[in-house]
Amino acid sequence: MKKIIVAAATCSLFLFTGCGQKAPELSGAGANNISDASAITGDAVSINENGYGNESGAKGNSSSDGFQSVYFNFGVYGISSGMENSIRKNVSVAGNTSGKIKIEGNCDEFGTDEYNYALGLKRAKAVKDALVSQGLNAGRVVIVSFGESNPVCSTASDSCYGKNRRVDLRLIK
Amino acid sequence: MRYIIFLLLSLHLFAFDASLKIETDVEHRSRIAVEDGSSVTNNTFFNMLLSDLKLSGHFLADAKHYKGEVTSNFISPALKSKEYVLKYALAQGSGTKLVARLFKASNGKEVFKKTYTIPSLSKAPFLAHKLVSDVNDVLKYPSISWINRYVVFARYTSAKQSEIILADYSFHYQKVIIRGGLNLFPKWADAKQQSFYYTSYAGVIPTLYKLNIYSGSKRKIASSEGMIVCSDVKRNGSKILVTMAPDAQADIYEMSASGGGKKRITSFNGIDVNGKYVDDENRIVFISNRLGYANVFKKSISGSGVSQVVYHGRNNNAVDAFGSKIVYSSRVSNKSFGNNTFNLYLTSSQSSGTRPLTTTGTNQFPHFSTDGSVIQYIKHRGNSSSIGYINLKSKQSLLFPLGGRKIQSLDW
Repeated sequence: MKKIIVAAATCSLFLFTGCGQKAPELSGAGANNISDASAITGDAVSINENGYGNESGAKGNSSSDGFQSVYFNFGVYGISSGMENSIRKNVSVAGNTSGKIKIEGNCDEFGTDEYNYALGLKRAKAVKDALVSQGLNAGRVVIVSFGESNPVCSTASDSCYGKNRRVDLRLIK
Repeated sequence: MRYIIFLLLSLHLFAFDASLKIETDVEHRSRIAVEDGSSVTNNTFFNMLLSDLKLSGHFLADAKHYKGEVTSNFISPALKSKEYVLKYALAQGSGTKLVARLFKASNGKEVFKKTYTIPSLSKAPFLAHKLVSDVNDVLKYPSISWINRYVVFARYTSAKQSEIILADYSFHYQKVIIRGGLNLFPKWADAKQQSFYYTSYAGVIPTLYKLNIYSGSKRKIASSEGMIVCSDVKRNGSKILVTMAPDAQADIYEMSASGGGKKRITSFNGIDVNGKYVDDENRIVFISNRLGYANVFKKSISGSGVSQVVYHGRNNNAVDAFGSKIVYSSRVSNKSFGNNTFNLYLTSSQSSGTRPLTTTGTNQFPHFSTDGSVIQYIKHRGNSSSIGYINLKSKQSLLFPLGGRKIQSLDW
């Protein structure tokens, strides 16, 4: 029995090292993915989260529940005077509703990575501050940045890009 | 005294370039031919071997697709002028099998032989990378183990929808790990690439999770109103740098790998993002708009002083670091919309010396390899996008085409 075990172990060694050729030693980060057959064959999981984001209205890509989107100029997060009517309208809508309000910051496609998400966040915060300054209870508001992930327009034009630089508001249901 | 001052100045000048001085050509590259003994020709696999040999910076590979017998020791007279001949045969049976033999061309002596097997042909790119990595090691060249690593990336599929995908470095192999929902900013959690951090938007506020890609186990690390992103992981995996906004203000925090011990590192009433450990990992470089536009700054984790790293460019909005080396993306044109030119630059935390790495197109998302010798990035030029690699030592570069969907972020 002992001989069989030794023979099997020897065969396994040859199988993994290739006809007596000593495999180079692997060390350090990055070598581990395929250092041996088990690592190559070890398969990664696959998770399906398609249920998220399909609820009614969530993909409308604009404000809902009577709120109006607030638009921004390129690269900035200050609210322009042209958007003051929208802010007043949103304060009014908020006053006629109850529950939490989600303020979503969005950007055009020209930023990258983290910076664009932070820019969307600053826009959402600017709208929140404007609403709170006009009487909205800050405790009712949750802000989230979607960066460039939630465009309402995808054609290559200035007007289209402008539609994506916006803050949407909706009730959390 | 004059001579002492002159000597000190000279030393300073040499110190100025020291951190960039390693970027020299590898002195000797082996001339190698690749001979295909497969019964069914697979040009993609052959081209992968050529790409790997080229990017290593250690080989001058003959681009001709030679055919031969992998079991034969015969070296064609036409190949005698090479230093090495790499024979291989890729076969499909119950799985995918690769037999490879490396010969010294001059005397036909076998210097390496190995058989690789995997159950799926889709993972054949990893066999090509592993073979070239092994050949590289056998010939005693500096390690290119980065070629074997997985890339994890997020790409948008539609509004508020994305997928997180696992790929080999050349993007020939791709497997969707998380499909559906909005899941962004994947970042490897450990050196063995068993787990990655990512941001999920499934809840009311963004949440940072850590997912084991083999077991599927998922653990919540932290959540934050506004945004939360894992920007960097300490080399030993013990701590992470996170951009989050608990007070609706994007700043950089350090916390343990499990989410405990949160410590605020930056505090600025603007944008601070993209923290990366630099030097001995007691300092960070990061992107901030504290001068009115996105630029690269650095600070110590414990101190409060902030210093500017980059003194050019109109928008320097992405950075990565390895040791004292820093790579960043800089906008060199000034269009409000459309295709701006973004180039990559290499600099150092120890000096102000800067070296351009790209000259055309939009080059973004720079990442160092795990040994700091290669830079990965995304290049957009015209209507096409590519994943690019620059070997800093050999100055070899490679581009692999990408599909049309927009990549949100990636990690290597």
